[in-house]
Amino acid sequence: MKARFPFIILSVLIVMSIILGACAKVATPEAPADVTVAPNEVVVTEAPIAEPVTIKYWHTMSDAEAAKLNEVISAFESANAGISVQATRYAWSDFKTALLTAIAGGDVPDTVRMDIAWVSEFASQGALMQLDGFLPDFDAIAASVFPGPLSTNKWDGHYYGLPQNTNTQVLVYNKAAFEAAGIASAPATIEEFVADACALTDTAKGTYGFAEGGTYFWAPAPLFYAMGGKIVDDGITTATGYVNSAESVAAFTMLKDLYDKGCMSPNLLGGGIATDAGQGTGIYAMIIDGPWMVDIYKNNYPELQFEFALIPAGATGTSSVVGGEDVVILDGSKNKEAAAKWVSYLMSVEAQKALAQVGVIPTISSLAGDPDLPAHFGIFMEQLKTAQARVPSPKWSDMDNAINNAYQRILNGDQTPQEALDQAATEINALIAQ
Amino acid sequence: MREKKTRNQIAPAIIFLLPGFTLLIVFFLGPLLYSFRISFFDWNFAHPDRSVYVGLQNYITQFKSQIFQRAVSNTVIYTVITVVVKMVLGFFVAVILNQKLSGRTGFRVAYYLPVITSWVIVSLLFTYMFSGMGGLVNYFLKDVLHVIDKNIMWLADSTLALVPVVLVDIWKGVGWAAVIFLAGLQSIPVELLEAAEVDGANRWQRLTGVMLPMMRGTLVFLLVVLVLGGLNAYVPFQLITRGNPMDQTHSILTLMYRATFSRMNFGSGAAISYLLTIFVFVLSVVQLKLLRKPAGE
Repeated sequence: MKARFPFIILSVLIVMSIILGACAKVATPEAPADVTVAPNEVVVTEAPIAEPVTIKYWHTMSDAEAAKLNEVISAFESANAGISVQATRYAWSDFKTALLTAIAGGDVPDTVRMDIAWVSEFASQGALMQLDGFLPDFDAIAASVFPGPLSTNKWDGHYYGLPQNTNTQVLVYNKAAFEAAGIASAPATIEEFVADACALTDTAKGTYGFAEGGTYFWAPAPLFYAMGGKIVDDGITTATGYVNSAESVAAFTMLKDLYDKGCMSPNLLGGGIATDAGQGTGIYAMIIDGPWMVDIYKNNYPELQFEFALIPAGATGTSSVVGGEDVVILDGSKNKEAAAKWVSYLMSVEAQKALAQVGVIPTISSLAGDPDLPAHFGIFMEQLKTAQARVPSPKWSDMDNAINNAYQRILNGDQTPQEALDQAATEINALIAQ
Repeated sequence: MREKKTRNQIAPAIIFLLPGFTLLIVFFLGPLLYSFRISFFDWNFAHPDRSVYVGLQNYITQFKSQIFQRAVSNTVIYTVITVVVKMVLGFFVAVILNQKLSGRTGFRVAYYLPVITSWVIVSLLFTYMFSGMGGLVNYFLKDVLHVIDKNIMWLADSTLALVPVVLVDIWKGVGWAAVIFLAGLQSIPVELLEAAEVDGANRWQRLTGVMLPMMRGTLVFLLVVLVLGGLNAYVPFQLITRGNPMDQTHSILTLMYRATFSRMNFGSGAAISYLLTIFVFVLSVVQLKLLRKPAGE
């Protein structure tokens, strides 16, 4: 018995270490080395922040953006003594899961730069701070930014984030292919676009005038909005008469015709050549995409001569879809006042201009045409004036799926555009009613 | 004296059981019960106290959903095809590898290599091979064998899209089944086979009369493990089809993942995983009953 005693103690110690180890906080990856770690028991008092605090900021930036962010953080920290920012970068595909895990576990980052489509989803669960009425300079910031990106933060009458950056899609066309086909300029109207798409198609060579990346709503959205398509009414009460309106049906009918004539690549149904690879290698003459194509083509297809143009105009003029990211403060943040300062700083002209140098389009409308911004921003900022946000609803992912499936049924010929969109309207109405 | 000895044995036993048991409760039983509770709620992951009790609604929604029904049938079809093909091919590969042929080790390695290659890489490769434009499979069918005259859009068709999913699993899994069969084959005493041969049994009779009965344990093990693996299919579905087209190519688990982590509908996700659990449980009981050794053996 005596001889066994040390073993029993040892066993208990091992068990304890396993249990305690399991409860320990997981180390945060990619933490900058110079971060001052705030003691856990810090309680943020009113106004002047006495104790040093650390604000956690999660994002999915690119290499160049993350490097520039470090400069932005340094500038913020030197202007706000006692607050340090600890940025953590995630891969986009893991980001939502990481956020859900953090929130469910109660150990949340203070601030997050998240996809604009997620804000209402997270806000509807009470995971985000309402910013109007909390952020001291909320009204001034809200007035300074583009209305489309700002609207993505609205949920149930309040704002739960601010648009940190924005983007939209424009027409990207292969200049050499246009010249070879004898087309002098980019199509200005939908009619010209359809004619050009077929003129640029050569079935024998296997080239296509136009290609979309998939059937998810983001892909057809610019042409859909330009042709006057809508998904729901402004109050998000019904899809009937919107997603299945004459304009919406006309947009999908136009795409179906292009597909049937072979002027649009079949890749969008899955298992084909991606739009960037296809355009880069001369297979697709026109695609619709965002500002990141500048870097992608520069790195992968430096020979490609491409140009940007506004989305061809429908009856009501040009339009497109708003993308980008919003910055939010999480409800579980323990340093909300300091977090608010960091969010306000990210929305400042200084920070927005700094990140613009690495290709991030600012949301402050007065920066449009600023000579310090990259030259290709001009067309995107012009397109942003008419670009529309997708439905700001926590059910958006499901709505997107309903339209995605309708688009696939249309292309496969299972249903006419009218039938498919009528069904989508019924599905979206059911989602709204939930 | 006897009692004392028992007590002396129990205390260390409990202590040695504690680590495993603690892990089981913390990481398995606890979450299992917690997610069972979640499945009856419209769950709010940020504020669980704000969750709304909805009774069996999450389960009923799934039963009524055409997408869920299709996911169940996809999973079952996938399981049946992959299990049967992997077992048949695996057995023949094992028989061949059990012969005394030159370079045997090399072949064994070759058949096992797919098992240890990354699912992600292999799934992407199969996606490229089955590309509707310029894919290797279409090239062979159209330009080499001339059996089709137009490229097939494999991944755009809700039935054909399952072909690469099933093939990738078979390609990756045959080697593993073969290794297990090989171990079973080598446990058969050579004398038995020789005796059968002396008695005039031909190849087929030796296979059905000696080898298969002697490998009953191996067969049952493989069947149970492969069926469980098949029903839990996730990676090839998620990486190759992602449910496209029209949500007709989900497996039960990809649907569960989507409900939970991209739609943030934790209640639905938990309900789907419990439906799968019940299905697997019932099937396991049936399998055990059917495969139990006949009395007297």
